Amino acid sequence: MSGEPDHPLVVEDLTKDFGSVVANDAVSFAVNEGEVFGFLGPNGAGKSTTIRLLLGLLKPTSGTARVLGADIRDEAALTEAKRRIGYLPATLGFDEEATGEAVLDYHGAMKGERRREELLELFTPPIERPIREYSTGNKRMLGLVQAFMHDPDLVIMDEPTAGLDPLKQEAFNEFVRDERDRGTTVFFSSHVLSEVRRICDRVGILRAGSLVELENVEALLHRSGKRVRVHASDAAVTAITDLDGVVDPERFAAGVQFIYAGDVTALLRELATHDVRDVEIGEPPIEDVFAHYYGSEEGDRRAREGDQRAEEGDGRTETGEGSGGSAEEGDGAGATNA
Amino acid sequence: MLETVRYEGRRRLRGAAILTAGVGAYAGFIVWYFSVLEGVDYEDVFEDLPPAMVEAFGIENLSTIEGFLGAQVFNFVWLLGLGLYFAYVAGGTVARDIETERMDLLLSFPVTRSRLLVEKFAALLVPIIAVNALGGPIIYLFVLAVGETVPLDHLFLAHLLSVPFFLVCAGIGLVFSVAVDRAAIAERGAAGTVFLLYLVESVVGGADAYDWIQYLSPTQYYEPTPILIDGSYELIDSAVLLVALVGLIILSQALFERRDI
Repeated sequence: MSGEPDHPLVVEDLTKDFGSVVANDAVSFAVNEGEVFGFLGPNGAGKSTTIRLLLGLLKPTSGTARVLGADIRDEAALTEAKRRIGYLPATLGFDEEATGEAVLDYHGAMKGERRREELLELFTPPIERPIREYSTGNKRMLGLVQAFMHDPDLVIMDEPTAGLDPLKQEAFNEFVRDERDRGTTVFFSSHVLSEVRRICDRVGILRAGSLVELENVEALLHRSGKRVRVHASDAAVTAITDLDGVVDPERFAAGVQFIYAGDVTALLRELATHDVRDVEIGEPPIEDVFAHYYGSEEGDRRAREGDQRAEEGDGRTETGEGSGGSAEEGDGAGATNA
Repeated sequence: MLETVRYEGRRRLRGAAILTAGVGAYAGFIVWYFSVLEGVDYEDVFEDLPPAMVEAFGIENLSTIEGFLGAQVFNFVWLLGLGLYFAYVAGGTVARDIETERMDLLLSFPVTRSRLLVEKFAALLVPIIAVNALGGPIIYLFVLAVGETVPLDHLFLAHLLSVPFFLVCAGIGLVFSVAVDRAAIAERGAAGTVFLLYLVESVVGGADAYDWIQYLSPTQYYEPTPILIDGSYELIDSAVLLVALVGLIILSQALFERRDI
């Protein structure tokens, strides 16, 4: 066990170049012992790539990482460290014909199952049934059980709550907080701000393959605002979008959509004075958080990457690298650059 | 230790049972048909066939039960059918797990890739052994049932010596399985390769030019008909197969070790 006892996870200039795309570009960060670290980023930002590198599924192009002291390039050391690592992949490719019980037996034989029964009381997949009959949520619960059943010191999860219903999600949040209190270090990726908000101690944001910012969750959320969608008359829309804190209003036929970073009471008061047909207030898409609150620096980055694309003679912009990798976003970025 | 062999082996039980039942039923039909044909000079039928074809189908001495079994059961089912089958099945071992992302879970275990690969491969012994250990007695009982007899030691050898042959076919499948991303392609590629080698061996075997090519095919090293008829076999053939098997496993490990999942 080499050094860094306080950092179960240390990532140093980790780079993965797939040839067509650089999925991780010199990513560096460290996770402290006993904390919940949220690894945030839009879909396609390279979160899964980082996680797969950490587990030795992918080989880094350059740079490295140490997981519980084991260098990820050293298979023997990493294999040994895996006794104390729990992993929940984004896609759970369980053996469909087997029952949940058979799968847990196998996982237990491979890595231990000290906490299996306890976990099965909390998460309740129908383990006597074959997995092909499972719903997404049941698969996810089985995945959580196998990830924690050997009482690991470090748990790595890729989009852990995808497919869980709100009640199970709440149970999961509480569970992760309890695990942290027991001293387990939890590292998980997400593209949902609200999920990260509730349980993470710290957040790293992966964007366009590199870690953009690490900051305290509250600060991030404070800046992220709400996404508001209002169906109302043109006159009402004009008045509403004049409010302080309204960012980037976008009109559509029946109303307007914008990010609101101001005082919620002021917004509600304003809405109440108009004839509003419908209103939705929710999480802003994470892309918007970046677009609006990491303003100029991001703008420059996009412009740079736009130029790069042009140099490569690729007229299309759907690679979407400069905007976090999603296709629609890529088009948007291209338009901005033009 | 060996948890993966146990788990994967258990997954193969049902397939092994179905395979054995199918092969047993076919063998039963062939033995029954032999008893029906008795009295008919069956060899005349094949006299007009080109020698290359007779060679390819392992046709010798069709008037005896050994010769008939050798041609109709062992050459068709063991040498060709099961050889292709095991290459095909092995082609899916790793590639399918990668395709369904099951491999992510397997590689989160504290086990090296090499070891996981060898254990998954070893689980293929379940159907290989089942079809021989159960298929052999089934064939023997059918033969007795129609009032014929076949030397037990010859039958035993024909089954035993098929094991290294099947393992090499499966080894070819394993190489495809770690080298290719999609299971369907690995499976077809592996079975196609074994079939192609068999065809090439059949064609080249009858001629003098480039006859070394036949030695590339695993089917060259397992000849069930002479084993059944007079118990003759070359130990060197099995040795070649085992060396090839080791080579294929080492190659698969090296490829699997290096690849991104």
